[in-house]
Amino acid sequence: MVLEMFPDWMINAPTPFSSVLVANRGEIAVRILKAARESGLKGIAIYSDPDKNSLHVEVADESVHLPGENLSETYLNMELIISAAKESGAQAIHPGYGFLSERANFAKLVKDSGLIWIGPSSEAIETMGDKISARRRMIESDVPIIPGEELAIESGSNPLGVLATSAARVGYPLLVKASAGGGGKGMRAVHEPKMLRTEYEAAAREASAAFGDGTVYVERLLTGSRHVEIQVLCDQYGNSIHLNERDCSLQRRHQKVIEEAPSPAVTPEIRRNMGQAAIRAAESVNYEGAGTVEFLLTSRGEFFFLEMNTRLQVEHPVTELITGIDLVQKQFEVAAGIPLNISQDEIGITGHSIEARIYAEDVTKGFLPAIGKLSMWRPPSTPGVRMDSGFREGDEVTIDFDPMLAKLIVHAPTREAALRKLDAALSEFVVLGVTTNVGFLREVSKSEAFSNGLVTTDYLDNVSLEEFEEPRISDSILVSIAAGASRFGLDRNQLPSSSEILDEYSGHSGDPFKTLTRSYP
Amino acid sequence: MEWSIGNSGSRYKVSFSEKEELLSLSKLISEDKEINFDDISISKDQQAGRLLVDLDGKRSFAHISRCDDEWWIHFQGRIYVINMHEPGSPDSSLSEGSLSAPMPGTILDVMVKTGQRVREGQTLLVMEAMKMEHRIQAPRAGEVTSVYFQKGDRVDMGANLVEIGD
Repeated sequence: MVLEMFPDWMINAPTPFSSVLVANRGEIAVRILKAARESGLKGIAIYSDPDKNSLHVEVADESVHLPGENLSETYLNMELIISAAKESGAQAIHPGYGFLSERANFAKLVKDSGLIWIGPSSEAIETMGDKISARRRMIESDVPIIPGEELAIESGSNPLGVLATSAARVGYPLLVKASAGGGGKGMRAVHEPKMLRTEYEAAAREASAAFGDGTVYVERLLTGSRHVEIQVLCDQYGNSIHLNERDCSLQRRHQKVIEEAPSPAVTPEIRRNMGQAAIRAAESVNYEGAGTVEFLLTSRGEFFFLEMNTRLQVEHPVTELITGIDLVQKQFEVAAGIPLNISQDEIGITGHSIEARIYAEDVTKGFLPAIGKLSMWRPPSTPGVRMDSGFREGDEVTIDFDPMLAKLIVHAPTREAALRKLDAALSEFVVLGVTTNVGFLREVSKSEAFSNGLVTTDYLDNVSLEEFEEPRISDSILVSIAAGASRFGLDRNQLPSSSEILDEYSGHSGDPFKTLTRSYP
Repeated sequence: MEWSIGNSGSRYKVSFSEKEELLSLSKLISEDKEINFDDISISKDQQAGRLLVDLDGKRSFAHISRCDDEWWIHFQGRIYVINMHEPGSPDSSLSEGSLSAPMPGTILDVMVKTGQRVREGQTLLVMEAMKMEHRIQAPRAGEVTSVYFQKGDRVDMGANLVEIGD
């Protein structure tokens, strides 16, 4: 019999726990496992074969191997993850984002297995996860929804006839969205009727590949709008607050590239109204924990509900930096049954925060994912710069997983200062061996539209990417450096062989990997 | 050694004058012609993977890593890839007219047949890599002379997908 060792802050909680299994991988697993360690909780990782040497396994106190070839056998395998939790003695499960985080039946299975689920109820996930039921619930809760007509397409029927009729009523341009979609997958813009079939088929294919559900619906496409979302936090006793907005308007192929808080387009009045609408949305499903209500904000200041993400968001750090609230710690507290004990008036905004997503991709080839070995990886480290990543120097970037390498997050007193800090941090980021979007991020963040806070969600789709071409120095300098490096034999002994040398290389005490020791074979 | 940058074809030969571990660029030849160059000298740094570069009197670091015949350089806030070639070696780029898979992945759709005429920019194949769809488009107009894969096939990175002739 093992004596339970709850951290001090958890001792009086109604449902305390001392260990948490993180049912995820990559940067978010690292983020949550580090939070667990900080909070005095035992952090347990899961990993599939390609991840056996990954950072999230290294930062965990313990890890469980998931045998299997593909995601459905590993990170999406509910029964296997539950038995990993049982086997390792985990008392709670944190799903991160993506993977099983928004599977209502997983939330239910976790609870039915006697474990604590760090997230909202399966009913809340189910209602918000289906776009049609979410919209109905928003209408009931007086939360504005996107104008236009919606139509569910039953799988098995011939969808094109009904789709075309509905599309004609909704009007072009429109969006064909998979009901179970998200993250830009299963969503296609249709600008004219003749493209309806092609785009519908692509959306259905992506949705069934990524989510196992091909159901889609159509919705009016509001061009020239912003993507603004509200972070909410709710406890188990009906207390709900919002932690202000994030502006995620800079997107490509409906995937977010740069996010910031606060939004340059949100006035105190919009913030108050949108915040209250978000709380009504969350309360309509008796939400528990951290969640995000996404809105489209038009140039006229009207806003419409897009969807609610019933989990932690990728871009949650910008909210943490401007509010000083650690969202993962709050998730732990809510799951343990501890009341919020923060009132809305206590939530302020300190400075401005911007997050840039570093992707392994070739911007010049239409954002094509890139692979390779991170032969040199030296993240910037200065005050006000945070980096969340699941990668280290020497790691391989493969096609097995998402191409996001890191999130670089800056915090400064003003938006202008945050933009300067972002540019400086990106320019100092040494990442060699894999093509990334770092240079593109520098150019985009310095563009007139972004620096003036004028970017709408269609911005990158309507602008020539040549505008963001990086300036480069003369060939003579570059070939001289390469020839000099060859002459000095810099290709020998490239990778450091011990962590001691790695510290010296990074040259700063803020190296996030510095104090880690490897705890697995 | 000869050097080239990115996908551009021009090759360079670099000569240094060397004095106590300090290399100063003394001659730069491209396409058999001597060309003008910047005042640049390079010296070793204490730390592996790093050089000191003096450019027009200003000193900065360059971080460098070699990956096969590519030398990756981070210099003054930008990242560059420099290719190294054995003198006189042929260009390693693929033969003209063939289209290779930009990523390992699965072929979702083949939209052309052998013998078909295609225009520049026409979508030839759709493939899926990392859960996203990518359209493979004709780099120029021509006739499809070979299609090497069919729907559902898995392809490796760099695999020849389609040949286009005139």
